[in-house]
Amino acid sequence: MISAFFFALFATLGFCIIFHVPTRHIPVAACIGGCGWVVYQLFMSQGTSAIVACFIASCAVGLLSDIASRVFKDASTIFTIPGILCLVPGSGMYNTMAALVSGDLKEAASTGSNTLMMAGSIALGLLAVGAVLRIILSIVHRASYIAGKL
Amino acid sequence: MINPFQKKVLILAVRAGELMMKNGAEIYRVEDTIERICKACRIHYVEVFAMPTGIFVSLDSGEDHSDMYTYVKRIKGGGDTDLTKISEINRFSREFTTTDLSVEDGMKRLKEIDNIPPTPLPVRLLGASLVASFFSVLFGGGVLDFLCALLIGAASYLLSLLLKRYSINYFIRGFCCCAVSAVLALTATAFIPYTNSNAIIIGTLMIFVPGVAITNSIRDFLSGDMLSGLARATEAALIAISLAAGAGVMMKLWSTLFSSLIGGGTFI
Repeated sequence: MISAFFFALFATLGFCIIFHVPTRHIPVAACIGGCGWVVYQLFMSQGTSAIVACFIASCAVGLLSDIASRVFKDASTIFTIPGILCLVPGSGMYNTMAALVSGDLKEAASTGSNTLMMAGSIALGLLAVGAVLRIILSIVHRASYIAGKL
Repeated sequence: MINPFQKKVLILAVRAGELMMKNGAEIYRVEDTIERICKACRIHYVEVFAMPTGIFVSLDSGEDHSDMYTYVKRIKGGGDTDLTKISEINRFSREFTTTDLSVEDGMKRLKEIDNIPPTPLPVRLLGASLVASFFSVLFGGGVLDFLCALLIGAASYLLSLLLKRYSINYFIRGFCCCAVSAVLALTATAFIPYTNSNAIIIGTLMIFVPGVAITNSIRDFLSGDMLSGLARATEAALIAISLAAGAGVMMKLWSTLFSSLIGGGTFI
């Protein structure tokens, strides 16, 4: 698990270089990518389906990037984009295509739909975190406003 | 009637928005930046509508007999995703709205940001090979696969940069890069024992995976920009198809051409 963290960390580091993440944010962004992958692997090893594991991992990445963006006062995109890339189902894409090439349409359909659902669950994870954070922040904002009035 | 000062502000704001859009920012961030810059210069009636392919801005000075002004900026071809530029423009717009930076100085700052040099080529190649090699390990490759993916990743990324220089469109680019990386991976596995072509191809595929388009399309959907969200989701799907098609066609060709030569072939 620890070695998986470091592999994912270096892979995310590569993405950070390709997408030109500001140098001062690279360590944090790489760690977020590593954490996302570890969460994914952790749930996979517990026997959760890949779709659910992807959802939870992308929630983790969304949450961590939002925290980082608030701590470092920078756009959260800078942390989300490299972090989420580890979870994008490249292997699912490949396996679907390999099944198609070998003419196994049944296998292609099942891996293909699985891959699509994984991509969807990444989307859903980010969306859920965004929505929940927005609600929490507006409640906090409201509370501080009321407290200020009192 | 808008005066020359307001026109300058408008050009500055639209330029900032265009830069953000080209470097992979979300729609709401672009619209927000343009609106803030205009409002900071006392243009009170601003309406912005941004899409990945263009920005529309309407201005009104708010007097009874004044005309409305609309500015349309067409954005052609998305550039490279450059998160440093987004971060810098973000900081610039914050600085512009809170301090009394003049419009001329603002324009100068924007030019500087636009001219921030990209990461040097060797470093970017290193990044691509890091991605390819570590993903090949994550997807079940060994040490030899790691080394193969290191080289093949760099080679296919170099090819994609080359094709971009000749402004080949993104579909063909994805197709060619994955086709070349698949051929290289299959050749490597044919000659080097104990290697696994699947792990190497997946690793190199990950370099080109449309992560930015996926993330941005979700964020656009979330903030209610349905049209842009849909546009970027389509872009992501098209890129994914081009990658899979590139690798798939080559693997099929390889297996039909060489299956008899290499005793059953390395694939299927």
